[in-house]
This record gives sequence, C-alpha cells and structure tokens, in this order.
Amino acid sequence: MGRTYIVEDVVEGYLTKQCEQTAGPVSGLLIGQSSTQREYVVTATRTPQREESTASGGNSPDKEWVTEHARQVSRMLPGGLSVLGVFIVTDTDAKDTLTTLRQLVFAVENLISSERLWTSAEDDVSDRVVLHVNPKTRKTLCRTFDVKDPKSVAKPADWKYQSGVCSSWSTVSCCVSVDVLLPLPDNPTATEDTAKCLKVSARAQKAPQFVVGGGVLRLCFLQEGLRGWAHQLESAVCLIDGRRLAADAELAGGQKRNVRQTYSAQLLITPDERRLAEGVQRCGGSVSVSGAVYSTAYLHSNKPKARQAEKLLKRDAVSTLTTRAQMLLEELLTSGGASEGSSRDEHQREQFCLPHRVFCPVEASGPVCVCDYRFSDEGLSEVIDRLKEMLDMDAAEKDLDIRRETPAEVLEGDAADEPTVETAEALQSKRNYFGAAMATTVALLATAASMLYLNDV
Amino acid sequence: MVVSDSLSSDRGTILRVRGPLEFKCHLVSTDARHMLKVISRTFETLKSQVKSESCVLTVCDSPVIIWPNKDVYITPQEITPNAPCDDILKWIQSDEQDPAGLRSAKKKSKKSSAASVINLRLMMEATKTGPLSAPILSRTVQKSHFLSTTFPVDCVVRTTVNETIKDAFERLLKALTHQLCEMEKVTLQHTKGTTLLVPEPLHFLLPEPKGLVTVVYPAGVPDSQLEAQRKELHQQFELPDDWPYFRRANTYHFPNEPYKDGYLRNPHLVLTHPTLDNGKVYLVQGTYSYHHYMQDHTDDNGWGCAYRSLQTICSWFQQQGYVERAVPSHKETQQALVDVGDKKASFVGSRQWIGSIEVQAVLNQLLGVTSKIMFVSQGSELASKGRELANHFLTEGTPIMIGGGVLAHTILGVAWSETSGQIRYLILDPHYTGAEDLQVVTDKGWCGWKGTDFWDQTAYYNLCLPLRPKVF
Repeated sequence: MGRTYIVEDVVEGYLTKQCEQTAGPVSGLLIGQSSTQREYVVTATRTPQREESTASGGNSPDKEWVTEHARQVSRMLPGGLSVLGVFIVTDTDAKDTLTTLRQLVFAVENLISSERLWTSAEDDVSDRVVLHVNPKTRKTLCRTFDVKDPKSVAKPADWKYQSGVCSSWSTVSCCVSVDVLLPLPDNPTATEDTAKCLKVSARAQKAPQFVVGGGVLRLCFLQEGLRGWAHQLESAVCLIDGRRLAADAELAGGQKRNVRQTYSAQLLITPDERRLAEGVQRCGGSVSVSGAVYSTAYLHSNKPKARQAEKLLKRDAVSTLTTRAQMLLEELLTSGGASEGSSRDEHQREQFCLPHRVFCPVEASGPVCVCDYRFSDEGLSEVIDRLKEMLDMDAAEKDLDIRRETPAEVLEGDAADEPTVETAEALQSKRNYFGAAMATTVALLATAASMLYLNDV
Repeated sequence: MVVSDSLSSDRGTILRVRGPLEFKCHLVSTDARHMLKVISRTFETLKSQVKSESCVLTVCDSPVIIWPNKDVYITPQEITPNAPCDDILKWIQSDEQDPAGLRSAKKKSKKSSAASVINLRLMMEATKTGPLSAPILSRTVQKSHFLSTTFPVDCVVRTTVNETIKDAFERLLKALTHQLCEMEKVTLQHTKGTTLLVPEPLHFLLPEPKGLVTVVYPAGVPDSQLEAQRKELHQQFELPDDWPYFRRANTYHFPNEPYKDGYLRNPHLVLTHPTLDNGKVYLVQGTYSYHHYMQDHTDDNGWGCAYRSLQTICSWFQQQGYVERAVPSHKETQQALVDVGDKKASFVGSRQWIGSIEVQAVLNQLLGVTSKIMFVSQGSELASKGRELANHFLTEGTPIMIGGGVLAHTILGVAWSETSGQIRYLILDPHYTGAEDLQVVTDKGWCGWKGTDFWDQTAYYNLCLPLRPKVF
C-alpha cells in the first residue's frame, strides 16, 4: 500500500507552467507536511537558474545545485513544513529519470539532515516523493523512496489534487527568549579551524543572487555550544493555550474540524541536571547570544495531536536560531571577519545582530507562511527578491509580516555587563598571584554536587 | 531531651522547591577581587531570574503550575490563589506504595500524623510575549577563564494551617531569594584562586518549635572542617553542644523519599506503642537500619544474630553523623576482635558466636564508641531494670544489644510505669531471614513490643549499652 499525497491545486498549475517553458528540463522541490497517514504538498518551486551556462550538455540537473537549493529553501520553512521531495519536468526516458530522481532525493535528505541540531524521532516519516512530469504527454509518474534505507526501491504513491489543502491548518507559535553564554575554545588556532569547518556556500554581501560554493556546512563550535540550549528546549514542558495537554490529546480538543485555529504556546525549561558541572576552565573568550526568536509551526487539520504540535514547534525554535547563527557566520566568513552589522567597542567585544525573521503567506488567504531572514542592512526588496529566487513566489511588500520580531539593535557603549578589561599587559602586572594557579589544573568539587542529584531519582 | 523523628501534622503542609540553577560567567582575569565581583554579579542575575515573571514552580506528579511573581497565577485555573494551600494536594497523583515496603493496615492511622510534602520543581519560562528583538551575538576574544556549573536549589517552607496559596508562595519566593543570598555567602567564602565550591542546601530537623531548618554548606567539605559553622549554628538556635544536629548525616529525610541502600529504616515507627498505667514510652532517638540474617549475600542463619545487632548499632552511629565509617561486615567485625587481641587469627571467616563483651570491644575498636555492660543473672530480673533502661534511652538514646541463652536481640525502647513497675520491651529481632518488607516485619513481630515472658527466665543476660559521644 503506497503513500497518498494530497496536493494543492495551484501546484498543478505550476507544474503545467514548467512544462510550457522551453529552456530544457526543469527540476524543483515539493514542499509540505508529512503525517503518518498521508502527505500534504502545499507548494512547489523550481530550481533557480545557474548564472553560468551549463557546459554539461544540460539534460540532467546539476545534483549539487539542486541540493544546495534544497538546503537554502529548508531554512525558509517554518515548523511543520519541509522538503517532501523532488520533481523533474523532462521528456527523458522514465527509467533514467527515476534513477536521477532517486539520487537527488537522497542527496537532498543527507544535506538537510546534516545541518539539523535536533535528532529525528522514531515516528518521523522517512518517505520522500519523486515526481516525473513528461511535458509532451503531460503524464505524471509518482514514486516514493525511504531515505532511511540506502537500498530502498521505488514504491508507487497516489498523487491527488485538491483545493484549499492548507487553508484551515492550525498554527502554534511563541516567542522564545534566548540567553546563552558559551566559552570560546582556548586553542589559538581555533578561530582558523572555525573558518575551515565552514565549507559554506558563500553568500555575497548584500547581493540577492544565489551563489553556490558547494559543500556541507560542518558543525562549528557555535553549533556545539547551542546543543545545550537545544536540548533544554527539547525537554521543556510545553503548555498550549496555558494548559499542559496529555501527549495523545488532540490539539483541537473536540472543536470543529476545518476551522482554522491559532494556539499560543509556552515553554518551561530547566538546566540539565545530569550534566556534570564543568567547573572552571580556560577559554579563549566567550560568546553570548541574547534576544528572542519567534517560533511557529503549522499542523494539518486532520486531528493533529498536541505531541506533534509540541515537537514541530520546538524543532522550529531550534532551527530558527541555528539557521541565523549559521547565516551570521557565513556573512563573517565572506566579509573577512568584520561585517557592517558589527560594532567593536574598546572592551575587545564585538557585537553582531542576527537577522530577524519575516513571514510571507504561501497563499493569500491561508495561514501557512514561509519565512526569510533580513539583516539589519537590508531592505524589504531584498527579501522579496529572495522569495522569488528561492521559492518562485511573487510577493509584494504589503504581503510580508515583519512584526513578529523587531530587528536587533546594538546598544552603543553598553558596558554594563563587562568588567573594565584592561589590556593583557596591564593585567599581567596587576594580577594577584593567585593567578599562578592558572598554570595548574583547577578543581571544582563536582562529585558531591553530582551525588546530590542522584538523591532526586 | 527527645529528638522528634518526624514532623507532626498539627501545622500545615510543607512546600519543597528543588531545581538546578545554571551559574555561568566569564572571568576575564583570575584576580581574586575581580572574581568575587563577577560571582556576586552572577548571583544578582540569578536572584532577579527567580524574582522575575519567568520564574515558574511546577508541582510534581500533577498538572498544577504556579507563577509566583505574576500575582501567583496558577494553571489549571480551577485553583485560585486564595484557596488554601492544602487544595493542591488534591491535584497530586500520589503513589500509595511506601518505598520502604508495603503499607500495612496498621499503618494507616500513623500515616495521617505525618506532615504532607508538596514537591515543586523550579523552572524558567523561556517564552515571552512578543514582539521582541531578534538576538544579538556578542563575542569577546581574550585568553581567560570560564565558570560553568549548576547550583542545587532546595528550599523548604512550612505552611500554617489554612494558609492561602498566595501567602504561602510569596513566602516561598522570599525563602528562595534568601537561599540564594546564603549560597552567595558560602560561594564567596570558599572561592580560593580558581577553585570554587558548590553551595549545597541541606535540611535539618530541630526539636519543636524550631522545626525544619535549612543550612547551606560547601559541597565536598567534610564535617570535620565545618566545626566553626556548626558551633555558630548551635549558638544561633540555642541548641546544646552534645547532639550533632547539624552534621550532614542528620539531614532530614523527607517522607516518601526512597533510601539508596535498600535497608528498612526505623521500622518501629509504624507500631502502636503500648499504654501502661502511668507508664511512659522511652525510645531510641534518631535513625538506624534494620540488619538481620541473610542480608548482603551472607548466610549467617544460626550464628550471626549478635553480629547483626552490632550492625544495627553501627548504623545508628553512622546515621547520626558520629562516624563516617560504613557498617562493618562480619569479617570486619571478626578482624577487629583479632586486632584487639580478643580472638585468635583463625576467628576470621569462622561462624563463631559473639556476645555483648565482644560487641563492646568492636564498637570501641572500629567506632571509638564506649559502652556500658549490664549483667542480669537471670532473665526474670530484666523486669526490674525499667528505670535503667528508661534512663539509657533518655540520655543516650542508642540501641541496646542484649545477649543471653543462645540468642541475641536489639532493644529499641521500653514502655515502663514507675508506679506499677509494668514494663514492655521494643525488640528488633536479627533472626529474620526474609526480604525488606515493612509489613511482614511489623505484622509478624520481628520488630515489636514484647512482654517479660519474652526472656528466658532462668538464663543469664548481658546487655551492651553504647554511649553516644557528647559532641556536635
């Protein structure tokens, strides 16, 4: 028994349009939500054109290009939305196309999942869809592959068009405050390593065009540092509309189906007790991330469960922060370390504003939105350009929802948090000779403290 | 001078808040003054977190969540802040099983006399009402130090009967803030160079009316180095210097908290004590563990009864904080007797019995405890020892080992009438071979009140009465 894909009517129109253009085969992504019973495809977007002409004779899509597009698009999808699969519009032989599609869909999944800070759960659907549309015959071939199984074979799937697929989806959202302080590694070459480990698609400063550098974004120390915060969120107590619901409880709680609902969530966190106190360690400095992120998730209208809402919302919160941190680091890398959005005060501290989140509805009357991140030196026109390029969406400024977050602003002369830090030389002479202890290992008697926690089992 | 073993319920329920608080700061220099300043500043941040609207207390095993700083807002909203605190108890799914063993029918009446505890977790609300500013990433590059740890907050407030939730939680918040101040003092006091000790709150039960008191000690520092603090506490609470109220081992054990070692503690507490005409009950003070045949994978059935009684006595000294030494195994007991020259080397590993003289010797050798020996030439004389036994439990409060005939037992108390001379003995029997089941142990009389006919009327008995060291 194969999967069923319920697809928005507009996607049919979009695919037809791709058939009608004559520039060659078109590949693209299918975006929507999975559930255990069926999948919902909400929108589709073609792979953007490459600037350089493809010398490869052009019939097979550039795998790296498609996966990079998928990675960027993934960042623009709030909770509940994900890249469900890949489509190709081509009159090439079906069997060859299927092979290509299979390669693409696995590559896309590998890249997207390597960037995630949250781990996929047992009940996550691992089927991805591939769609082959033949522009001459208008025939559509729909298959699924299980991306958790490298030996997976194509399975048939149903592809059904319907109107208003997501018009009555529920929205859960919240504003999560972030206050993380991390030590920088002591290793003097660490900052170079940070750069090396960001083999990243360089995003040219302020230019909206889509530039590819290829490769995978590896974990840098910042991502590692944010793991603790991500873990706190994952194990947070979640209240929906002020109440703690049982995991199996339905979100709508008996209210009418097909009536759009918005819910507000609250997350209660506690530090991880099992983590042994780290004590005093040498470091090369510190990094703090402080502010708030607006997090949202959409749920299909077929009896969504509270547990699902909680999971999707938390994942979105973790993703939105890490995405922005990655984007900032990419910016820093391409601009050689200091970007215009930073300010360095005399206390050897640099501050950078992370971009703020802007939403755009997928269809004019529906609740489901995609999002983009706007740096403080960009205008809304850049956002609109990116939405067009990445998601092939024609948005106007008035469609954009920019009020969920306020842009970050660096406060000049905000020395309240920092001690008066003299230069290193001055410190040497002033330093109380307890400083000699720096040379020896410092100890924090964590054993007794950690044994205290064992009592609470 | 009787030390109460448990809190009576004539005052209200206990609110207990526990939770880790993350303590992180960047130390740009290890200059002592700078460190103290940064640490103080970090504590100020923690205090403001706890006093903020983001501070949340969740009731364990229950859907109840309270925001103490938002006019004591509560969810579910059926509970209002002006309701009595005890209403929260109705919302807690209680586990009827006593972790120390199965509940016995006898116990029900006793259970209601113990105070209820509402356990709460301290959490922070990470979500706020937006729109809020997107995050700022701040980077300071400098060779320095970073301090990261969590502090175990553990705060207790005794409510008064019919106190409203609003009042009780406002007091709890004050207690939390006060605890942070205490923790700050201890941390600052014990920060040396780049070593920092975690402040650890512990609760101690003082005689009424003082009740439960919380003290913050630096974790990992042994009792022997905290004498000065304890002396100050004894003065502050006007307590005599001869009972170690504030040693760590005397930390109050909350009801329904399981013990890590699996032994039954104070099984006698569930018994109904006999009422004699003009009689009074004199019991062992403090806590002990029930040691008996077949425990610790040692098959000592038929020969180990005195050893087990000795173990029960050693557990008393350990749990009151007089010694840090664990309860000795049979081999360790035997080795101690060889070491003092009482037995030959071949004694170790044998199944030879010991008596009260040996028990006295071992207590002295391993624990540094002196004991008195009482001798009765025949069991019937025990009936007349009421006054001595009563006095012992009043002034020393330690369990007594009694050996005679072919048996050894532990006496945990006496019920004695000065006028009629009636007497009953509270006996803990080491001959039990079963599992740590409180119901069986008390129902079948392995821990129970016995009459004078319990003793072999013609055999002679020796009693070992351990004396408690008069220290704090």
